[in-house]
Amino acid sequence: MATELTTIPPPLVHRRRRLSVASVALWAVLGLLIIAPVVSFLLLATSPRLFQQGPEYFTLRYVAEALRGSTGRGIIDSLWVSLTVSVVSVVVATVFAWLIHRTNVYGRRVWAVLMWLLLIVPTWMMTLGWSDLLQPYGAASFLGVNTHFLYGEFFGPLGIVIVLSTAALPFAYFVIAAGLRGLGSEFEDAARIHGATRWRTMQTVLPIIAPALLSAFAISFAETMSDFGVAFTLGYHANFPMATFALFNAISSFPANFSVAAVIAIVLILSTIPPILLQSRIMRRRSYAVLSGRSRPARRREFGTLGRLGATAGIGAVFLLALGVPVFGAVAGSFVTNLGIYSSSPVRLSTAFYQQVLHPSIADKSLAAPLILSNQLGLVVASVTGLLAIVLARRLITNVGGWSQRITDVFLLGSVAVPGVVLGVGYIFFYNLSFISNHVVDLYKTLPLLMLALVANSLPGQTRFMAGPVGQIQPSLAEASRVHGASRWRTWRTTSLPLVSRVLLWGWLLTFTKTIAELAISQILYPPSAEPASVTIQAYLANFQLGTGTAMTVLTLLEMLAVIVVALGLYHLVTPRGWRRIGWSGVKS
Amino acid sequence: MHIATKKPDVRFARLTVLALAATMIPLSLSVGASASAKAAGPTLVVYSAQGYDSATVKAFNATHPGFTVTLNDNSTGPLLQQIQAEGNHPTWGVLWVDGAQAFAQLDREGLLAKHIVPKVSFNTVGRANIPADGSYVPTGLTATGALVYDSAQIKASQLPKTWADLLKAKYKGMLGMNDPTQSGPTYPLIAGVMNYLGHYRFGSTAAAVKAGEAYFTKLKANGLVINATNGPTLSAIAAHTIKMAIIQSSAGYGAEVSTSPTFRVAYLNPVTALPGVIGIDAKMPKSVRAEAQKFVDYVLSPAGQHVMQIGDPQGDSLFWPVLNGEKPANKVIPPLSTVPMQTTNPYVWGPLEPSINTWFSANINNG
Repeated sequence: MATELTTIPPPLVHRRRRLSVASVALWAVLGLLIIAPVVSFLLLATSPRLFQQGPEYFTLRYVAEALRGSTGRGIIDSLWVSLTVSVVSVVVATVFAWLIHRTNVYGRRVWAVLMWLLLIVPTWMMTLGWSDLLQPYGAASFLGVNTHFLYGEFFGPLGIVIVLSTAALPFAYFVIAAGLRGLGSEFEDAARIHGATRWRTMQTVLPIIAPALLSAFAISFAETMSDFGVAFTLGYHANFPMATFALFNAISSFPANFSVAAVIAIVLILSTIPPILLQSRIMRRRSYAVLSGRSRPARRREFGTLGRLGATAGIGAVFLLALGVPVFGAVAGSFVTNLGIYSSSPVRLSTAFYQQVLHPSIADKSLAAPLILSNQLGLVVASVTGLLAIVLARRLITNVGGWSQRITDVFLLGSVAVPGVVLGVGYIFFYNLSFISNHVVDLYKTLPLLMLALVANSLPGQTRFMAGPVGQIQPSLAEASRVHGASRWRTWRTTSLPLVSRVLLWGWLLTFTKTIAELAISQILYPPSAEPASVTIQAYLANFQLGTGTAMTVLTLLEMLAVIVVALGLYHLVTPRGWRRIGWSGVKS
Repeated sequence: MHIATKKPDVRFARLTVLALAATMIPLSLSVGASASAKAAGPTLVVYSAQGYDSATVKAFNATHPGFTVTLNDNSTGPLLQQIQAEGNHPTWGVLWVDGAQAFAQLDREGLLAKHIVPKVSFNTVGRANIPADGSYVPTGLTATGALVYDSAQIKASQLPKTWADLLKAKYKGMLGMNDPTQSGPTYPLIAGVMNYLGHYRFGSTAAAVKAGEAYFTKLKANGLVINATNGPTLSAIAAHTIKMAIIQSSAGYGAEVSTSPTFRVAYLNPVTALPGVIGIDAKMPKSVRAEAQKFVDYVLSPAGQHVMQIGDPQGDSLFWPVLNGEKPANKVIPPLSTVPMQTTNPYVWGPLEPSINTWFSANINNG
């Protein structure tokens, strides 16, 4: 029987053809979304004349220009900072994942939800919070704490590594937590039964989640390389140039030097290849699919009271620094009118900035219409991204270790490392080409183009994010369902969907909130007279209306939080209880 | 055997097609709607970095039915990035930002319509900022290099009076300014100082640049503090890290009338004129250029000037009008005749911006 099945050629040919059509369609969509605009931008590195940005069809002048001086130093700084941040975030995330999922530490559900909140806080807000706390006459000084020394230290490499590590922490955490999910305690038990010490047990067990650790390292590295918020704030003030800031500088002057920016973008993308190759080499050796119908919940390690309190305090301290400080800073900045101002009088609290949100000082520049538009954008972008991400995540986990998977992986991680501003300008170059706009589609300066760019911006991260949980579902689950006569739709609905429903929901929320907070692409591509909320808020922050801008930021964050609460509530009401019980354990809401 | 490998692939292929269809259908509908909207004809898009632009466009649309003007409201940097990236296929119809350097560059590239200056009565400084070919028009005026100070820290009588005074030991560590690579009005300030100290009239700018570089090097040695933009620089004064700063006049007045009532603005002799400037895209169809001209005319009409003065009362509205008979919006702004103001040639100083900014970054920012 088996021999007969393996020698039937027609179904094989049929399968290849259908798969090929799907692959072509998928790459065509990716080509229009990401590849064509980004490549258009990157071509400028050696061929500025292609887009009327210089006289040369081929030159290496800009490569040399980008690799020397402060620009070259920025690239080196970014590389070592990203490496440090990736190591720190993976180590901390592994400890956190183990404490939260494998011990009886207090508040496990709270920590998991806070990790999600940490994921949606932009890095510029983190630095704003730290700055409001530590600056002369800042929040700490009002509380009687002298922060002069800390302020100087924080505005340097130390502060940069701290903020970026806290920003990378959730990315690493969710990947590693998903890896731990499949690691039942039977592996630890087996090691201990055979006489292994605790250290030896860890040495035996940790390699099982090596793919998750490497994946976490790679995503942390790419996210850190592409970060602009910290480079622009802490990096600038500390005279510590970073690659994304150098890229921004190259295109913010007039005339803009797009060619130098393109060289830096290429370096950012290429820097993600080594982590991917390392991960791919290790994953090729064996299958790491350990989540199946036979997976059993892991046994929790029971700490004593002191140990339990200590572990909880440690986690709490990290969240206090990572989330508490920026939130406190933003709230203080929106209520305290004399923050950062030399004053012998005590703190002056006022709701004036919030009143200015309702009655803006700049005529016809209120937050209401832009916020509604941003929510609509978030709704469409998050839904479309979610669908595409599931498809791409499945592609990523099929043919593990093969060339197809490696190309997809490098493409996705390379895309994560592309700063939003590169994508935005690339969209102008490609979609504003006379040929495209006259003969294919005229989308430039329309809402659909902004949506496409925002989908392109979210898709790589979302896909890698979903790849972990999707990759842990063993094919035997679906096979069992099909053998018992279920249709394909029913099979997917009853096996895969329950297992990934929670990650789908959180992935949707992640993209939704990131879309509302996104500035770089929105600023470049928003259609005239249809301004998203982030652009409106930026107008106030850039126009010395810092209090009003901060109050608008707080209100936008509260609105995002409300959407998260409503979505989770609906999930709780609508989904069967079993989905919530067996859904991805990395997310406990 | 094959069941294990075949079905996930087939399912994957179907899921892919389903997802792509679900993705593309709503987008296609949206694209269709946008395309039909575009097919209705060209529209005038105003690219503007002025705080009062929303109010102005709204007022224009209310008084000029039949042709709707739309607005791309952004900082100057992103607007110029977009214009440069759009290249020979531009979308912008009108550009309206502070500073004439970018306009001089666009004019050199043949991208600006000529002779667009409305027939209105410009004052002296207004006339001085109109180019010979009429390719752009000043709509209002601020000064860059205005001395913004905290009267709670330093009295008016203790202030420096000349640019040379700033080098004196008694002002060591008191002064701040912005980074020209991050702050739009700062390069015109540096060019203005070079223009003045080098006694530049015409010919080579090399001597003026050299004199300016020597001056800023000495200023750095006297404790000059550089921050990225107006916000951090004003915050540094508020936190008593510095006592005064040379920045754009409207930023100083904005702080004085809103968050920092003890802030004042003084003027060294001379400060440099920084006009708000408007220009029309030469590549637009004739009908759009005609509408653009109507918009420019409206901005320089009494109604347009009034909207400009009430649109952003704590920010960009704090300018000097360039028309005879118009007065500043707020009493904190002194008469223009009392301000020692020079005008620099953007066609001369504009091309030097990249090299001077690079020198400044290497020697003053990080030196």
